[in-house]
Amino acid sequence: MKFASQKVAYWFFASAMLLFVLQLVYGFIMGFAHVGLDVLHQWIPFNTARAVHTNLLVFWLLLGFMGAAYFIIPEEADQELWSPKLAYIQLIAFLAVGVTALAGYHFNVWEGRKFLEIPRPLDYLVVIDVLAFLLNIGMTMLKGKRHTTTSMVLYMGLLFAGLLYLPGMIYFDNQTMDSFYRWWVVHLWVEGVWELIMGGILCYLLIKLTGVDREVVEKWLYIIVGLTFLSGILGTGHHYYYIGAPRYWLIVGGIFSALEPLAFLGMAIYALAMAKKGGRKHPNKIALTWSLGCSIMACVGAGFLGIAHTIPQVNMYTHGTLVTAMHGHLAFWGAYAMIVLAIMAYAMPLLTGRKLWDSPVATWAFWTSNIGMSFMTGAFAVAGITQVNLERRMGFDFLAVQHEIEMHFIGLLLAASLFTIGILLFIWNFIRHGLPTDEALGADIESSPAEARS
Amino acid sequence: MLSKSQAKIFFLGGTGVFTAAFLALTFDTHRKVPAQTRQANITPAVDRGKHIWEDNNCMGCHTLFGEGAYYAPELTKAVERRGKPWLKMFLKDPEAMFPNDRKMVNYHFNDAQIEDVIAFLEWCGNVDLNGFPAKPPLAEKMKATSAAPVVTTKPVPAIFDMMACRGCHSLGGQGGMAGAALGAPPLDDVYKRKNKAELAAWISDPAKVKPDTKMPKIPLTPAQLEEIVTFLSSLGN
Repeated sequence: MKFASQKVAYWFFASAMLLFVLQLVYGFIMGFAHVGLDVLHQWIPFNTARAVHTNLLVFWLLLGFMGAAYFIIPEEADQELWSPKLAYIQLIAFLAVGVTALAGYHFNVWEGRKFLEIPRPLDYLVVIDVLAFLLNIGMTMLKGKRHTTTSMVLYMGLLFAGLLYLPGMIYFDNQTMDSFYRWWVVHLWVEGVWELIMGGILCYLLIKLTGVDREVVEKWLYIIVGLTFLSGILGTGHHYYYIGAPRYWLIVGGIFSALEPLAFLGMAIYALAMAKKGGRKHPNKIALTWSLGCSIMACVGAGFLGIAHTIPQVNMYTHGTLVTAMHGHLAFWGAYAMIVLAIMAYAMPLLTGRKLWDSPVATWAFWTSNIGMSFMTGAFAVAGITQVNLERRMGFDFLAVQHEIEMHFIGLLLAASLFTIGILLFIWNFIRHGLPTDEALGADIESSPAEARS
Repeated sequence: MLSKSQAKIFFLGGTGVFTAAFLALTFDTHRKVPAQTRQANITPAVDRGKHIWEDNNCMGCHTLFGEGAYYAPELTKAVERRGKPWLKMFLKDPEAMFPNDRKMVNYHFNDAQIEDVIAFLEWCGNVDLNGFPAKPPLAEKMKATSAAPVVTTKPVPAIFDMMACRGCHSLGGQGGMAGAALGAPPLDDVYKRKNKAELAAWISDPAKVKPDTKMPKIPLTPAQLEEIVTFLSSLGN
């Protein structure tokens, strides 16, 4: 690493990994409940497990994004972080607010709106915390000697993620409008500004790992994020088909959702093309593997599986079924979880000075988690499609159909176990790196592939 | 080939144009939603029901307008599908209505809160959702291929609807949507399978006869039980 203040990133990454493990635990609670083993029902009913599972996801991804920004921005701006102290305060406050919210879910304290369950008073604290983060990063960029496109795109993503949180806080007594603005947050985050963050991080990694000229990588970054917004903004319409909004959203949402995979396909082609073009043999191959894997899994999960059920005629029957869970799992894994793991795989050796990139553990972590998640997606797909046919197309009762598909949840649990092993291997490798140290400052460990094997 | 500054213009220009289009459509949606959702029917009870819905994170298991989680049934048309008497009985003690099956938390709602929840769900059921949820397209075809069931033409006493029997069982050609696949048989020819004493024993406490049954124990007075048993047995005459 170049600046001592980049060490802040480590603590964000470590917190993120801790919460990720907790997310998996709650995922298993839900998986077991689906096969009838709901022994925790009295203490952790399904709606608690569900809110904790999804909120932990958002929570650790945001921590990952923040960690990535604290690592990337000082280097891109060629400037020490404006205030490492503020970063630590902001981390602790963020964790405190998050853990309070999650604890509250176990006592029926929440707002009960999918993905945005955090109670209102805590919402304000989240906003203040994110403002502190944006200030810290923004000041670093302002004082910086260098203003790069990568850092601008990353910052814009983070800034708009903060701004778009606000529409979700407006109250409507009309469920339709309530839902309408809830998607301003959720959709415009994950299919809009989060893609800027992902694009920014991916761009940084490609510049570092492939050695392709910055101008070329950044030019294509503009095209990719341009495609994202071109399709993603009006693509919000696919959430408005059947919630009581006007009928034209079926046409608008249908057309622009169909374009959404283009952005992800573009991202995958872009990453693969840059990797092929790059002459530089960076010793940290596993970071490049995660980066390319991210672009491919995002293309399949968010792009292909997305369009598979955003066509209005299909969505009429798949809307509100496990088909959504199929798409959701691979999309979030591919696009967002993997990009956070990619930047961590890249940053950890630089933060700690330990070159564990050749470790078999690191390789096994990648393949086990990805194969596990692919099987999970398959299990959700079979369960979801069966549910659609029996319940939505043949008219069988909900619960009767749920019993019919229990078997696929056993498959899901097995696949999830494989996935969990992969994640635990990743974390094991993370722990083996040890703590960040000033000794790693200025150490050039990136340019000598021959030594990497030592 | 495209230069970096041209790429930047593509990004900023595209984002600007589509943001403007999105805001214009949002504005129009605001104008049209009140009529499409029958907003005028949002009474204080509906609003209270919405708060109960949110305060207990019902979306954490159920879907409404197809949005939520996939652990429990879609509720947009719950009032139409089950009827109010059934919903009232269910919300008092959810697990009692589905013994040996997937559990719902008992929130110990009082009668007024139950009315509010039902008012909210009823309002939701009347929102124009552009055709969602669609009628199952294969259901009619399946019906056409199965043998015609015995259907009584005798008038069905009110007690059957009061106790929401037809939420699960079909009788007189009505109901049975929820129960058919759970194994709840039509009641029109139940006299063939059970005599009067057996019927009475079964209905008064199903789990005592068959411990793993999915049929709930319905709170009935002896007179109500007698009325039901007498009617069902009379169908054979």
